[in-house]
Parts: sequence; C-alpha cells; structure tokens
Amino acid sequence: MKPFDFILARDSAEAIAALARAGAGARLVAGGTDLLVELKSAEHAPAVVIDISRASDMRRIAMTEEGLVIGAAVTHEEILDSPLIQKEVPAVAAASRSIGAVQTRSLGTLGGNLANCVPSLDGGPVLVALEARITIAGPAGRRQMALEQFFVGPRRTALRPDELLLDILIPRTSLGKPADFQKFGLRKGQALALVNVAASFHSGGTPAVFVEPRIALGAVAPTVIRAAQAEAYLEGRAISPEAMREAGRIAAAEARPITDFRASAEYRRDLIAVLTRRALENVQARTRRR
Amino acid sequence: MARETKTSDAKITVQPPSRAELPAYRPAALPALPAFPIEARVPQAGEQTQAVGQRVRRTDARAHVLGQTRYIDDLAFPGMLHAKIKRAGIAAARIVRIDTREAESMPGVRAVLTGREIPVNSFGPTLHDQPLLASDRVVHAGDGVAAVAAITEQIAAEAITRIRVDYEPLPAVFDPLEAMRDDAPRVHPPASNIFMRKMIHKGDAESALSRADRVLEGRFSTQMVEHAALEPHAAIAAWDANGRLTVHSTLGRISLGRADIARTLRLPLNRVRVVATIVGGNFGGKNEISLEPVLALLARKAGRPVKGVFTREEEFTASTTRHPFIMEYRTGVTAQGRILARKVRLIMDGGAYCSWGETTLWKACILACGPYVIDNLDVEAIAVYTNKTMAGAMRGFGAPQVCFAYESHMDDIAAALAIDPLEIRLINAFEEGSKSSTGQVLHSVAVKDSLLKAAARFGWKEGRP
Amino acid sequence: MDVSMIINGEARSVSVPAETTLLALLRDHLQLTGAKLGCDAGDCGACTVLVDGKPVNACLMLAGQAQGREVITIEGLASAGGLHPLQKAFEESAALQCGFCGPGLILAAKALLDRNADPTDGEIRDALSGNLCRCTGFTKIVHAVREAARAQRDADAVRTA
Repeated sequence: MKPFDFILARDSAEAIAALARAGAGARLVAGGTDLLVELKSAEHAPAVVIDISRASDMRRIAMTEEGLVIGAAVTHEEILDSPLIQKEVPAVAAASRSIGAVQTRSLGTLGGNLANCVPSLDGGPVLVALEARITIAGPAGRRQMALEQFFVGPRRTALRPDELLLDILIPRTSLGKPADFQKFGLRKGQALALVNVAASFHSGGTPAVFVEPRIALGAVAPTVIRAAQAEAYLEGRAISPEAMREAGRIAAAEARPITDFRASAEYRRDLIAVLTRRALENVQARTRRR
Repeated sequence: MARETKTSDAKITVQPPSRAELPAYRPAALPALPAFPIEARVPQAGEQTQAVGQRVRRTDARAHVLGQTRYIDDLAFPGMLHAKIKRAGIAAARIVRIDTREAESMPGVRAVLTGREIPVNSFGPTLHDQPLLASDRVVHAGDGVAAVAAITEQIAAEAITRIRVDYEPLPAVFDPLEAMRDDAPRVHPPASNIFMRKMIHKGDAESALSRADRVLEGRFSTQMVEHAALEPHAAIAAWDANGRLTVHSTLGRISLGRADIARTLRLPLNRVRVVATIVGGNFGGKNEISLEPVLALLARKAGRPVKGVFTREEEFTASTTRHPFIMEYRTGVTAQGRILARKVRLIMDGGAYCSWGETTLWKACILACGPYVIDNLDVEAIAVYTNKTMAGAMRGFGAPQVCFAYESHMDDIAAALAIDPLEIRLINAFEEGSKSSTGQVLHSVAVKDSLLKAAARFGWKEGRP
Repeated sequence: MDVSMIINGEARSVSVPAETTLLALLRDHLQLTGAKLGCDAGDCGACTVLVDGKPVNACLMLAGQAQGREVITIEGLASAGGLHPLQKAFEESAALQCGFCGPGLILAAKALLDRNADPTDGEIRDALSGNLCRCTGFTKIVHAVREAARAQRDADAVRTA
C-alpha cells in the first residue's frame, strides 16, 4: 500500500476530531476487511487512516428505552455471540453469520458493512425490514435517520466527509417481530450475495392475516429496497402459501436486477421470487412457534 | 541483518504501553522442540525391505505443522532487494516507447530493466515464442514490459507506476475459431495463428463411418482454468564474486529452468545454479521459467540479491493456465453399440504463447479416442494463438479435456442406442493386447475389471439412487 | 510508528511504517514466516493468525490495530511439552501436502477447538471455510481436526479425573 499515517481513536469524539483535522484525506477503519482490500489497489492513499475499532462508545450491544442499540464498531462475531441479539432479533445474527468466513467476521463490523454500502451488502436487508434507524455523529452533533435513507447509492451513504456512523437502533416495536434472512451466493461460504432478502411480519386475527409485513431486497437495485407492492399485497391478507408465493412474484417484479458475470437479471428475479417466499414461510414458522 | 524500512514522519498518536503495563519480559527458555527433522528409515545394503503396506509418515509433515517449512518467499538474504514487474494491461499493442527515467531516479530504486537489455529475450519449452519482457509487441495483457528492483516492495510497486509506456493498440482476437480465420488479427505476425497441428490416421475412418448403423455427433468445450496454487510464483537471484548465478525458485523443472536461464542470459551452464525448496503447490503452473532471468539481470545491475514474488493477480494474468478446448466428435457405431470409427477435431486455445502446448496437443490427440478399441480413427488437433493469458501445463494437460468429451459422448451414444452406459463401455473398452490409437500394444489392462468392480461397489445394477 | 504487542507469549516491539499490515510485520520485521502471503486480500486464509484468541486474516489488519494485543502464530503452538494436539494430528493424519495452507488452517482449527471441544464435521468445515487448500480436498484435514479434538477431550478427561 502507499504510505499513510495512522491514528487510533479511543472514542467517536477523537475520531471526529481527527476527521476534522485531516480534511478530505482521511479514511476510517474498523475491521478493515473492505478498506484494506481497496487501499491495496488504490491509485492514491489517504493522508491518514483513523482506527475506530476500539472506539469505546461504538462497541456496545445494549437495550435502551428506544430499542436495541448496536454500536457501529461491533464485529459480526460479537453479534453472533450476543445472547441479547439471539433473543430479540436473531435474523440480524443470521445475516452476520452469512458474511465471509470466520476470519472476516472476527474483524468486520456491522457499521463497516453498512457504511461501505455495496448493493449486495448482507447487513442491510434485515435491518431495513425491521425499520432500523441509524445515528450519525459529526462535528455539529448527532442526527438520526431511517437506515433506508442512509443508503444513497452504490458505495454512497448519507455520511458527510467529516461524519461517522455511530450506531444502529432497532426500535422497540420491531423487537421480537419474527424476521428471516435469505441469501443466495455461488458458494456456501465466502460468497457475495447474488441476491438477498429479508422478510418480517406479525400474525394477527382469526383467520391469521399478515400484519405490518416488511420485505427488503438486496443486490437487485443500487441500494437495498423495500418491496412496497409486495408488502401492500400482503397487508391484512390471510396468511397462506399462495399469498406468500404471489408476494414473491410481486417482489421479483419490483426488483431491478442487472446482468453481470455472476448471474443474469432473469436468474436474479427468479431467486427473488423463491427467496421471498422462503423468507415469508420461515417467518410464519417462527410465528407459529410462539 | 540490516533492514531498510521507511519510517513515517507523521505525528504518532498510538501510545506504546509503558513498561509497567506489559508483562515482565522473561528471556524465553528455548523450548525443547520436538525432534526435527524426523529420522528417515534407511534400508541397509542387502536388507529385504517391505515398503508396500507399511504406514509411512510424510517426512515434510513435521516442518509443515511447526511452520518451519521454508518456501521461497520465506527466504531472505542480506541486502536483498524487491522486484516488481510492470504488466502491459492491454491485449495487443506495439510498444512505441518505454520511459523509465522517473522510476530510475526514485529514491530507493536500485535497478530498472527493459526487454531490450535481455541477451536472449525468448524462451519456451518447444517454441521460443515468449519474451521475458516484451520489447516490441505486447500479445496479452499479462505481458511484462519492464521490471524494477528497489529496497522495499512498496517502493518497487510505486516505481512501476512511474514507468511510462506508449502503446499503439492493435486489433486483438480472443476466440480460437475466429483466430483460425485468414482475416483474423495475427497474434505473432507474420506467423499464422495456427501454430501447431497433430494428426492421427488409423485404418479408414471415412469408409467405416459409411458402414455404420448409426453416426452420432457431439461438440464439447472446456474452459481456461488457473492452477491457483496457494503459493505464488517466487524467485530470488544472486550473483557471487566469481560471476556465478544462484537462483532460488518455485520452479518445478529445475534442470530445464537452469538451461533456460543459462541460454537467455548467455551464461555457460556451469555458471548457473538453481535451488528449489518445498513448493506451495505447482500442478504444472511452475514448470517453466517466468521471472528468473529478469531477477538475475536486476541483481547484476544492482549488485545485490533480488527477490520477486507474483501477486495473486499476476497468477491469473501472467502465469500459465489450462488450455481451453473445443472438441468435435463423430462416431460410427453398430446397432449393438460397437464403435466402428471415430473422427475427432480438437481445437486447442493456446493463449498468447506455445508454452507446453505441444505436449498438451499430443496428449489430447493420442487420448482423444478414450480407452476404447477403435480401429478406424482420424484425429486432427490444432493449436491456436489468441491474445489471452498463455495456456501451459496443468495436471493431465490435454487428458482431462478429451476425457470430458469422449465420456460425455459415450453417454450420449448409449442414450441414443438405448444401451446401458456401462454395457457400451464394456463392449468397447481396451483389453490385454489391445492397440492404442497410435498402435501401441497395451499390457496390464484393467479397464473392464475396474469398471465391473466399481459397478458392483456402487450398486450399478440396483439402479442409481 | 512504534507498535508493541505480545507475540507467542513474548512482548515484542517494532518500528514500522503505518501502512504495514500485521502480516508484513510478522513476516518481514519479525521473521515469523509461518503466516503466508497467498492473496493479500483476505480470501485464502493462508495468513490466518490468532489475535486475542480470534482467527483473523493478518493481511487485512494494520500493524497499529494489533497494538497491545495478544497474537499467536504457528510458531507459538508447540512448546517444551511437545506438539500441540492439532500439530500432532495433522502430522499423523498426513493432512497436508505442500503445507502452504497448514499454519493458517491449524490456527483456525485451534480457534474452533478453543470454543467447541466436540465439533461436528459440519462445524469443522464451517470453521475452516476461510482457509483454502488447493492440494488435499480437505478430507484428511477434517479428519485430523476431529482426531485432535478427541485427543484434547481425552487429555482433559484425564486431567479432571
């Protein structure tokens, strides 16, 4: 890699101060599993790399009044090991589990996954389906937004150059809401998602109907998208295998996949239909178990 | 051993722990490591040994598990420099000009080399069609066009980006069928893109086909494959005071490599010593020289040992691969499934250079009929240049490709004749004394025996699960 | 930049450029060449070392990020007491051929066995999915890990008996 300076930030305030000092030439590193690969082939090096992997206020997994907070510098391995996450939002752990291999998960962070914002990111769909909100911190203070708004485009987020992603909040109303994550890659491990899907709904009434269905699709648009039409189709509808299949078909039509060397757009649409249906079926199975 | 490292001038905000924070430093009592290397069992003269059936411990296992095996990149020598090669990045072009001045004047750069300075800038196991560094033309994107030796790998990597090469892009051809046409761009002008042809004529295939009850055709193709050995190509070149060159290399065929290094550098053979250590996977990809003579010349210029290691990207773009094949089969059979005649046309995509293409072409040609008795056989095998990464030796070279073709073809024939796929093979397979496609009389032929044993083991008669 | 960490139980300090990876620090500055450079992109796992007990790709960690941490490399597994059970099992099972993937694999397996003393074959394969091997096909490797797990369980049973 080309030369750069290194600063270890002990908390987000130090990181933000370092970002401000460095101006445009700084990059943040947490796990480094994306950044270092990028820097190794980059034509230009950043002036300074700021390490936030040990930032004390970005590493918690905690229940607050607002909901479950996951610090941006929490690693995927820590998410997998967290009893709190397994209890409240196990699908978040399932998504982390699907990333890379054990070595990647030891270092890679949820915040890094979200901030890197590739269309196929695995950390996105479940959190979008659970209507997560994120906190951004900068020199002017903090601001919150829906995760969906945080994703602007491929490798583009709402972060300004002097800001960092602080934490992710899963609101109280989403805790305990059954959710499921489906990912299809060309391998079982260390695989990029050709497509990924998350679904979530409550079951209510007799006969049971879909309540607040949420479907998020990944890798089939510039950013993670909600399958709004599929959601509208399901809302209030009686839960049935046919409805889930139809929702899959609608979601596939809403997707805007591209053809690339990994897969054709048609194949990706097929996958969306199947994975959406499977995710809905798994959510239903979890609902019944309660 | 002095190591020149670049120290950053920047303000450091990483606080090293104070002495009090670190555990007390105890000079380590050297652990009594398990015996290494382990004793090898040496049979004595006249001793009747029974090797077959004995449980043998791999002699390299101990060093492997201790992490003590020294691969080439684990070696370092005093004053050693690091080399990087600038890759063309364009599939076909004329090199108009190479400007190395900026690289040469970079601090830390000790030598720069271009193709013009190489005494004999061509090599290859059969055809000497590959340059060590391209000097006039680039014929695939992985061609090296210049090399740098510097005190750190980082500086060498930066230096090659400062070498300016002016290219005149030329039309390129990537498909072997296209490349065979008269109007295709020539990969190595003025030579034809068809750089080799092998043929087998046995009996009279044409008339035997006309006598067949059925004639079946099939077209099969295989893709380019990269060995992806976990250890990249690596070598270290060093000269001694008497002008003798020692090259440590991941090379597999070191006698051949020694000859190639001597020839390209115009050195007497006895001035060249090649040392190979444990290799981290070869599979055929390390069968010929790649960067060794370049490192030697850099080392001579710089007066210091020079190490070069391929990046993983170079493994894909600048090292040999498995030949893609297009295989056209035409087989005449009796209604009972006996093969009367076969005509095969093999088109072997050689990529940019011949490398081990002749061996591959021969093997594919000879083995194209499969382990089956075919008295009337025509095989035409053609090797074609394309402007892609060169293909060379890779486990089987030629055999796996045609095996895929003839076995798939056999299954297709069986299906067409409604004959059991095992049965049709038993009807046609080699036996003791059968003649191969080139007339070789075969002994110790176990084809039918193996098939039957396997069928019994797998429960073939009971039906596939 | 000065970096200090505990490597194989010993405090070590080096001065390296800030952009040095942990892998380059180990191999080039401390001559601990057990961790290998296979791809430099975190795909092959040949550079796997344990940092605070967790398997990581050393090629994806900056030296400064390892500051103050405990690092175990393959060179730190054997002790005066002999080979680590994994090393013994790998040797006896002839699990390695060229050996290049060995150090990374053995450390990834150690991380597994430190968490899970009785892994299933599926769990073993999963834990090793970040370590590529081009020679063996993994069968004997999985066998060796199973054997090492058994040997460790037996040794623990003897100790606690």
